[in-house]
Amino acid sequence: MIDLIAIENHLPALQVVIPLLLAPFAILVSLPFLSWLVALFGSLFCLYSSVSLFFHVSEFGKINYFMGGWLPPYGIEYVIDDASSFMIVLISLMGVFATIFAYQSLKKEINKKSQSKVYGMWLLALGGLLGLVTTGDAFNLFVFLEISSLSSVTLVALGSKNDKRALTAAFNYLLIGAVGATFYVIGVGLLYSVTGTLNIADLTIKISELTGNNSVKAGISFIIIGLMVKAAIFPLHIWLPSAYTFAPSAVAVLLTATATKAALYVLARILFTLLFNADDFTVIILQWVLLPASIVAIFFGTIRAIFEKDIKKLLAFSSLSQIGYITIGLTLGTASGIMASFIHIANHSMMKAALFMGIGAISIQLNKSINVDDLKGLSKSMPVTSISLTVVILSLLGIPLTIGFISKVYLLKAVFSHGNWPILFIIVLTSFLALGYAWQMIENIWMKQPGDTTLTIKDDPKIYIPLVVLAVFNIIFGIYAYPIVNSAFNASAAIFWKAL
Amino acid sequence: MIHGILGIWNYWIVIILMMTGLFIVISRHNLVKKMVGLTIFQTSVFLFYISLGKVQGGTAPILTGYKDSLYSNPLPHVLILTAIVVGVATTALGLALILRIKSEYGTIEENEIAKLNTEENSK
Amino acid sequence: MAEFLINGFLIFLLAIIAVVAIRSIKIFSTVMLAGAYSLICAIIFVSLDAVDVAFTEAAVGAGLSTVLYIAAMRHLPKREKVVNDNTIFAFIVCFGVGCLLIWASFDLPVIGDPMAPIHQHVGPYYISNTKPDMGIPNLVTGVLASYRGYDTLGETVVIFTAGLGVLLLLGDGKNRDKNE
Repeated sequence: MIDLIAIENHLPALQVVIPLLLAPFAILVSLPFLSWLVALFGSLFCLYSSVSLFFHVSEFGKINYFMGGWLPPYGIEYVIDDASSFMIVLISLMGVFATIFAYQSLKKEINKKSQSKVYGMWLLALGGLLGLVTTGDAFNLFVFLEISSLSSVTLVALGSKNDKRALTAAFNYLLIGAVGATFYVIGVGLLYSVTGTLNIADLTIKISELTGNNSVKAGISFIIIGLMVKAAIFPLHIWLPSAYTFAPSAVAVLLTATATKAALYVLARILFTLLFNADDFTVIILQWVLLPASIVAIFFGTIRAIFEKDIKKLLAFSSLSQIGYITIGLTLGTASGIMASFIHIANHSMMKAALFMGIGAISIQLNKSINVDDLKGLSKSMPVTSISLTVVILSLLGIPLTIGFISKVYLLKAVFSHGNWPILFIIVLTSFLALGYAWQMIENIWMKQPGDTTLTIKDDPKIYIPLVVLAVFNIIFGIYAYPIVNSAFNASAAIFWKAL
Repeated sequence: MIHGILGIWNYWIVIILMMTGLFIVISRHNLVKKMVGLTIFQTSVFLFYISLGKVQGGTAPILTGYKDSLYSNPLPHVLILTAIVVGVATTALGLALILRIKSEYGTIEENEIAKLNTEENSK
Repeated sequence: MAEFLINGFLIFLLAIIAVVAIRSIKIFSTVMLAGAYSLICAIIFVSLDAVDVAFTEAAVGAGLSTVLYIAAMRHLPKREKVVNDNTIFAFIVCFGVGCLLIWASFDLPVIGDPMAPIHQHVGPYYISNTKPDMGIPNLVTGVLASYRGYDTLGETVVIFTAGLGVLLLLGDGKNRDKNE
């Protein structure tokens, strides 16, 4: 008889270790359907454990789990607080959706022989990301960064069955990611050399005593550069558009919903928890590095998306600008700004994952990459997919009653209370510019006569179920925003130490 | 000032070595050479960590049994053991990708690949 | 003094190797230079008391990865086509990053200083507690396998990921020799 209470106590470790350990099983069962079941079980277990951790944390406060029982700073510690539990719920929830979608998508886009291995890789990517957001140790974070990036590189490269450009996209991702990770290691080394510790909580205390130390500032800069690569913040985003474009649809769903978001969360934690006492230095990074980068990212991403015909690439550029909105929330350096960022992290995951699913559903049927023109008359041939896609596109635009609107409202509210009018203006302006790319999709779906190719395709319930559920989420949480807003509020309070 | 520089010049050499590796990664177009540059970059970072762990007059961190022996710090060594393995894993995956790129594109020069990709885009 | 001279000589060799690696257009010799670079680093690690790391660097960094490169080189062109259109950009980036690091180095503890923070905090705990906790004399093993054993689990997962990735990319082996 397994002791359930004992399992309960070890959930902080199990939610990371179980997917990693299930990976070999997914490979060994070697039947695509069984492997998929293993992957689904893994992601459902993550969801179960992260949700129960989330409720535990919101009821009893933060959990410090000591790996192997060694006390920090000597051993490795896992920290589940309001912020990291918010992230693990998001990542594992999106992981479940992506896994459900993956079965049909990978069946079409990957050789039958290698599908089981792909599910193994899938679990490794999921476990790596969950470890990344929960670990409380700076070097352990690097190890999980590498697990998640090596696995996502391979998953991106799998798109090479349809388009060889997936290989160069994957190679660039690998190389840029490896350089970014090495920058991160240099940064951790610099911090370690002047503090003697790797535990993030311990580092926070030690760093607050070392104001004005060059090594600390340089170390933080290196860490931030490394994380900016992973989070695809302009100008270090160059790997992102092609990686999302040429990856198999399911992989694009997984990466857009989880990978960059995890890196953004770690970045926020470094900026606001680790640096809570280094006031002017944080302000310099926020105002002179992150703010211009996010503004350029918003404009660059939106404008490239307007002129882009390949829809996956269009969505990738749109992601770039949406990441810009998330980082703008961070640059305000206020609790409400961070809260807006957390809300948008969750909402953007749901929107983009749904969009990539919808486009994936079409491209699986047409067996090619989708242009804007291929959407013509889609409402006639695939009504369910069309309606869900439209809902999500409207949500991306920030139409009321959708989660996109909630994101925009809280972001504008945060900027407004900060009193930064130019940014307010930029956000409003670019929201209208986003109409440029969103409208051409809606117009093609609803108002154009179908072309020859679009007539041959039809809705497939096996593919659209996760898409429809996500589209419904887009509306439900747009109307009843309390769960996301409230947990984002708690999350921002957990990482914004200055508020204490 | 002179003393200060003498104390840290070791770091400067390591920094120059790191930057040589990074330079190869950015400036060369050959993908294998980029990977070699990455290896040199990472190995130099390892050198930085290990030199942090050194204690003057210390010995390798294996207990000698004498009470007053001075040991170098074992923690950077542990970190670098992990990092070396991670570095090789990256190299292996990178080389596998390069082999696939060679067989699909027929070249491993980045600028030629970029040219082929633009042709593909305009198709 | 002798140690200083030997280290100086080794570092000098490293610098030469790094510069030659930039210049060389034969990929094969670049790969061998990288192997030599790792090996010399391993020797320096020994003189910096990191015997376990030297061991691993020699076996994995200089040995295994050179083998991987050579195995890959069988299918790859042997020469690099030199185009220098990126040099200035690369130089500016490296110069900037290097300056940031040098600026940081002014506040780093002097190498070998026993009073440096890393020798005062956490490190001493391992030195005094490994023996009572684990009963083994090798502190690196103790920390690697126990105090930070979770990192080592992560490390094995990284290797597994890379192995699986190589298998997925090259596993069918059918299109590897298409262009030879």
